[in-house]
Amino acid sequence: MTHALFKALPALCALVTLTACDQGGDPMRQYGADPYLPEPQNYLLPPMSVPKEVGWKPGETPTVSAGLRIQAMATGLLHPRIVYPLPNGDILVVEGNSPGTTPFRPKDFIQGKVKARAGTAGKGGNRITLLRDADGDGKPEEQTILVDHLHSPYGVTYVDGTLYVANTDAIMAFKYSLGQTEIKEPGVKLADLPAGPIDHHWTKSMVASADGSKLYIGVGSNSNITENGLDVEEGRAAIYEVDRLTGAKRVYASGTRNPTNLAIDPETGRLFAVVNERDEIGPDLVPDYLTMVQEGAFYGWPYSYWGDHVDVRVHPQRPDLVAKAIKPDYGLSSHVAALGLAFSRGEKLSPKFSNGVFVGEHGSWDRSPVNGYQVIFVPLVNGRPEGKPVPVVNGFLGDDNGTVRGRPVGVALDRTGALVVADDTGNAVWRVSSEKSGQ
Amino acid sequence: MERSALEARPRSLLHPSFIGAGATLLIAGFATDIMYWDTSNWQWANASAWLIAAGLVLALIATLALIVDLLTGRAGRINWISFLLVAAAALLSLLNVFVHSRDAWTSVVPQGISLSAIVTILLLAAAVCGWKVTAVRTFAVGDKP
Repeated sequence: MTHALFKALPALCALVTLTACDQGGDPMRQYGADPYLPEPQNYLLPPMSVPKEVGWKPGETPTVSAGLRIQAMATGLLHPRIVYPLPNGDILVVEGNSPGTTPFRPKDFIQGKVKARAGTAGKGGNRITLLRDADGDGKPEEQTILVDHLHSPYGVTYVDGTLYVANTDAIMAFKYSLGQTEIKEPGVKLADLPAGPIDHHWTKSMVASADGSKLYIGVGSNSNITENGLDVEEGRAAIYEVDRLTGAKRVYASGTRNPTNLAIDPETGRLFAVVNERDEIGPDLVPDYLTMVQEGAFYGWPYSYWGDHVDVRVHPQRPDLVAKAIKPDYGLSSHVAALGLAFSRGEKLSPKFSNGVFVGEHGSWDRSPVNGYQVIFVPLVNGRPEGKPVPVVNGFLGDDNGTVRGRPVGVALDRTGALVVADDTGNAVWRVSSEKSGQ
Repeated sequence: MERSALEARPRSLLHPSFIGAGATLLIAGFATDIMYWDTSNWQWANASAWLIAAGLVLALIATLALIVDLLTGRAGRINWISFLLVAAAALLSLLNVFVHSRDAWTSVVPQGISLSAIVTILLLAAAVCGWKVTAVRTFAVGDKP
């Protein structure tokens, strides 16, 4: 008996030491095509490390790299997530948050409370605000509520007299003529999207194809890693292609755990996505990624990550699907929560940003030290992301990373070439322009 | 001073019923772990997490009841074997509730279900003593109350 106890002791100790908070390594090792991937770990205590939300004091702004200046375009919004410049220069701000999920396990209650500390529980406006800055000085002369009473909206796109809004449960189409500051006519449903009853990853990102005939929709998984069962993952963790006129939809790519934003390369017309990967197997697993989306491809979730790295938490396992899983193009390091994506072509902002993409990193909640909380620029070489990322907007964190003033979400370039950033915790929209532009 | 017969009568212990109720939940957690292991149906793992969490709440109540038993003179001597069996089951269950907070398969297999099995064995062993960890305080026959 005693002997058996002594034998069990090391195993028990190993179990207990797992509670010790593991420190993540240098995130730079995980940017690029071949990120460092450590061995997965099993936690005892779910890792949670969330800075406390304090908001922006009057006059405070995020910081920008040399040669740039930043100003608030709008404040006092309700959880702004996506910024979308219309062809006439007006900027749409989508204000929304999760429709609310039902906690299933004791853990869900606790995690919800901890995440709320960093401002994730801020009330969503369920509306789209229009900012009109006709003279391009970054100070909108007009601010109106364009559409109200939406249902956890996220993606928005304008094609040919119609404004499409991706609510969490459906794509809505609104008749819209550019210049209009208020939409009174109710929208028409174009297509249903997978939503409740759990709706764990509720955001539905959206972009129109280069020719405007198709809409691409990013649908996130209904769990971290199938802990809510495989049934509820039917049709989720995928990127859809929806016919803009008929609403007919098909899966364009799958295995993408949470494709939080999509963008079309204006030069090649190719579809790109930022995808948030799984949690709770280590501070450096799994890197979120940026990738050109290959039609028909399977990106691994839930069975594997970064190609064929099997996730043992999924049962039954599917070696046949793991064999099919492809590697994404470019790692963005772990748990950064990449939510914003915008292509940059041209030198209006800075010659440094003439060819690449901006990525808004909302910031980690389950990694120590925290990661993300910035907007970065990733250079493109021959239309593919390559090389080291360049930090562009920072200063969202304060006090040794113990507090958070704001968190970047959607990013876009307006018609003057300035970078517009939605901040859902600071409830603001920031505009980053060139110092030289004088505006 | 004469003491009344009522005062001299042994009073029932408060803690065993709470240990019994908590043990029932923890043992049920082992049953649902087996079901999850067998079926991979996530709701069984979910049930285990709730059963173990509720079992721990009852373990806390049982601890308070035991303190009351000791303070109010209901309890006699502590039965150390029984106490250690129950205490070990409670501590391992505390570990187990964290293992069960993982996502999907590894919340149960292999560590979670192993801990549930050990806890079940400890609690069944403690059941032999009626899940009480102290004797009932009694007065010997012939004592002058």
